[in-house]
Formats: sequence, C-alpha cells, structure tokens
Amino acid sequence: MTNTLDGESISEPLNPLGIDGIEFIEFATSKPQALGSVLETMGFRPIARHRSREVELYRQGTMNIIVNSQAADIPRTVQPVERPVLSAFAIRVRDADAAFNRALDLGAWAIPARARAMELNIPAIHGVGESLIYFVDRYNDFSIYDIDFRAIPTVEPKPPAIGGLHFFGIVQYIGADRTADWVEFYSQVFGFTPLPDRVRFGIMPNGLLLQSPCKGFFLQLIEPEDTARFAYSDEHLQRIGLGTPDVMVAVSALEKRGVEFLQSQKVHTSERGALTKPCLGNVMFELVHDVPGSYAPQA
Amino acid sequence: MIFTDIGMDTASLAGPLEGKLAAVRRAGFSQVMIAAGDVVGHSGGVAAGVRCVRDSGLAVTGVEALRDFEGCNGRLREYKVDVAKSMLEICGELGARLLVVEAATSVHVDVKADALVRDLRMLAVLAIPLGIRIAFKGVSRSRTVRNFVAASELLYRANCSNLGLALDAFDVLAARIPLDDLDAIDPEQVFLVQLSDYMWNEMLTPEEQAATASHFRVFPGEGAHSNGLAAFVSKLDSIGYRGNFSFDVYNDDFQQMPPDTVVQRARRAAEWLVETVLRRALPVPNMERLRRTAGD
Repeated sequence: MTNTLDGESISEPLNPLGIDGIEFIEFATSKPQALGSVLETMGFRPIARHRSREVELYRQGTMNIIVNSQAADIPRTVQPVERPVLSAFAIRVRDADAAFNRALDLGAWAIPARARAMELNIPAIHGVGESLIYFVDRYNDFSIYDIDFRAIPTVEPKPPAIGGLHFFGIVQYIGADRTADWVEFYSQVFGFTPLPDRVRFGIMPNGLLLQSPCKGFFLQLIEPEDTARFAYSDEHLQRIGLGTPDVMVAVSALEKRGVEFLQSQKVHTSERGALTKPCLGNVMFELVHDVPGSYAPQA
Repeated sequence: MIFTDIGMDTASLAGPLEGKLAAVRRAGFSQVMIAAGDVVGHSGGVAAGVRCVRDSGLAVTGVEALRDFEGCNGRLREYKVDVAKSMLEICGELGARLLVVEAATSVHVDVKADALVRDLRMLAVLAIPLGIRIAFKGVSRSRTVRNFVAASELLYRANCSNLGLALDAFDVLAARIPLDDLDAIDPEQVFLVQLSDYMWNEMLTPEEQAATASHFRVFPGEGAHSNGLAAFVSKLDSIGYRGNFSFDVYNDDFQQMPPDTVVQRARRAAEWLVETVLRRALPVPNMERLRRTAGD
C-alpha cells in the first residue's frame, strides 16, 4: 500500500453542508392536544398553526417542536396514531437545495415535494425507520414559519426557555450490529463524527455518540441489549435530549410545573442529567448538563 | 443433518413462485434466495408475490440480482439508481437483508476505479435505512471487476460497513483462481457464497464460459469439479467463513423438470457438502430439538 489514506474519505471539508444546528423536531400523533399538554408542562408554548395541514408549532427559547396530525401521504413515513412518535428533525444548513442534492447524490432517499401554492417546499430525505430529515436554510431574520404558519393571536412568539433548555440531541434506537451502518450514513451524508467511548454526557451511557459538524448537536445510537438482540427490533427516533447549564435548577423548575422524573437505582436525577417519566406511551425527555459550545473534541 | 446455512435459489426452479417455495420447503431447506423476477412477475401482482414468500416460512437468504449498476454516467446513472431503489424496496418488503449485485458487463460503463467506488458507496448508503447489506460479486466477463480479488480491492476502497463480497464458486473454478487468494480475504467481508458446478472439463472461449454460467450449471457434487469445489468450501471454512451458502444453479434442463425433482438433487448436494466435504458432526439424538427450543 503506498497510500494509507485510500480507505478513508478525508478530502471533504469538515462541515460540507454548513450545518448550524437543529431547526425543529417533529412528533406525529392523532391526539395533538394530549401531546400539546405534555409539551406545555415541559415549558413549550403553542405559537402557530400550519396554513393547510394539521400541524402546530410549539416553541421554547431556541427550540421549535412541530406536532403533526396530518395523515401520511407518502410510503415509509409515520402514520399518526394515538401514541406520539418522533417523526422528523430538521437540520439548519447553508443552502437547503445544495444540501439536499448532495445528500441524494451520496445515496439518500428523497421525499416527493408536497408543498401547496405559496407554501415552502422544504426538501427532506428518509432517515431511520419511518422518520424524515429536513433541510432548512431560512432561520435567521426570516423563518419558514413566517410563510407556512399563521401565528396564534395574542401569544408571545418567543417564550423564554426554562433553565436555559436547548436542543442537545436525539436518541436513535437501532437494530443489533447496526451501529457501523448508521455511523456510515450520518458521516457520509451530513459529516457527523463518532466520538470516542470515553466521552459521555448525561446519565444514559449506552450506545455510540455522533457529533454534528457544527459541534452543537449529538445523535446517540443505541443497539438492543442482551437477549433483545435476537428479537425483531424496529429502528426509530426514541427521545429528545435537552441541554441545560444547570440540571438541578431546570429539574426543580420543571417539577414545579408537574413534570415527573425517573428516580430508580439505575436512572435518577443528578447534576449530570435526568430523564422524565414516559407519558402517552413513550414520550420522554432527557436532560443533559451542557453549556452550548463547550464540547469540542481534540482533533 | 445440519444445513440451515445452505439455501436454494428460486432461479434454479421452474414454474410459479408458490410451487418453487413449497418444493424447497418439502426438501427440508430452511432458506431461499429470491430472484427478483419471481416476485415482481407473480401473477397476482408484487404484493401477492411478497405475501407468498413471507407466508412460506422460509428465511430469505437475499434478493438477486442488480446488474450493470456501477460506473454509469448521466441519464444512464439516474436510470440505474432508480432500478437499484426499486430492488432495495423489494428487499425491504420481503424482509430480505441482502441484495446481490453483479459487476457490470455493459460496454457503456466507466471502468475508472473512482467512479466504481463512488457508485458502490452510494448504493451502500441507499441500503442503510432499509437495513440491507450489499453483496458485490465479480463476474468473469465483467468490464469493471472480474474476480473476488478485484472486488475485494474495490470494496476496501469503498470502505462501507454494509458492503461486502459475494463469492461464486463457478467463477473461481472456471477462472482457475488459486485458492490461496482467499487467504487475503477477511471472512467478515464475505456476505454470501454461491455454489454450483458444471459438466465440462474445460471451457475454451469466454463465450462458452458465459453460456455455461447462464445455462448449464449443475449442483455441487454433480459436475466435473467436485474436488475443486470441495477444496473451495473447505478453504472457506478454514479461513473462518460462517455465513450462508446458496445454490445458484442456472440450468436450462432444470427449467423443464418438476421443481420437486430438482430440489431433490439440491438436497443431495447439501448432504454431500455437509457430510462429505465439511464433515460436520451429526447432532447427538435430541440435540437438534433442544437447540430449536433454545431459539437457535
């Protein structure tokens, strides 16, 4: 071998898509009000409704959550049922069209465009299981919600975040022996980097962590444990991780609002993190100690 | 007899899909390679073809075969990507975890390694969300990759976890590839081994080899190269290959024989492999039943 780098692609820039965090995370459910009240106890507020689809926008600080109750019209996407399911996340990029086309060229599956007249066509690809990944490039002065959504009157459009909460990451459940495949997918298509095993956040240590090229967002891939490895397991987005500079302050503020946290021997609130009890089936939020921009691994 | 890792191929049998699957099951096989044409050509439509496979109780070894994929450019590439996506979707519907991809033989493909690597990586990424592995196979008359050594080098460059090799014994025997070449192969990188033999002692021209490959293959133990085939399988066993074997026997005569007669030949081939070649220990009485109860 003359060139030991043959087996690796290192010629790409570190952040080829100009990724800049998460624009929104989406749930699908046929009971949007039940999920809405869970989100409200977590400190999110309903801000706006979609003009043509059964879709609502909730917000808290920098975080946008979409609640989608529209029946799915595309195969291999989440059909809203009573139990809410994490159905999509949107990545902020420099140029959504360029990012989308680059992803397709690398082997991502496109979602057919479905915007109506005067609506934005937000490009998306298939992610894990039935979930989607959107690309959004309008997020500064002018947002996607200005066009596709109608604001709910008299509501504060920018409710502050409780305890400095912000999007930290998403936990993804995957099949047995599938970690390498998903690392391949996220590093090829988006430029995510796997973190060494010694780097851990929060109180849920399993799986492998991938860091976004903007350094501000993490995906945690978790394979089934023990005997569950031999059973059929569907792959899906399992829960949202919320970062906070002070977990104890955030937990106490949320507890006052009625949020319950798991307190078992294995999983309990600490300064490193906390996990809410599941609601409505399997909706849970993980709190993780995180000061934005504080973790930049050594090259 | 333990041959759960040896499967039949629907392409070796005649008649409608239901009859093929029933014959495979009756002969005691537990897995089957599905030729995509058998599912999409089902008289009741694709959904009925899929249901037929799922209801058969047989495990699906994989789906075959995507051809002339790598190295295409422009409109041809777009077209081939659509073909690949369609085949991956069929795999997904069948619950198949493997798609067999044969190296391109078309004169219209680019043979530069960079283009081939680019396309194999793309195919691998397309397959990831569906949980499918790609088994790439060199073809002796290919313009891009003629044998498993070249295929392995290309896959090393493409470096994707779900990209691996399919080894076809026919190609190894026909091209008289030295078995020691297998020493350089990582057994984890081999996703599938296809087994067949042929009747001629020698094939004089590439045309004759191509015709034999598509029309005159026979089951292992039936042809003129039993010793070579036995050495090949033993070698794989010794380098640590523990994956599936599939009989890819394309034979025009078998297309005119009842599937039950053909699968009986396949059954004899499986017995020959297990008892004579691999010399697997016979299970202690009741062991097999115990293993099954334990979910093995």
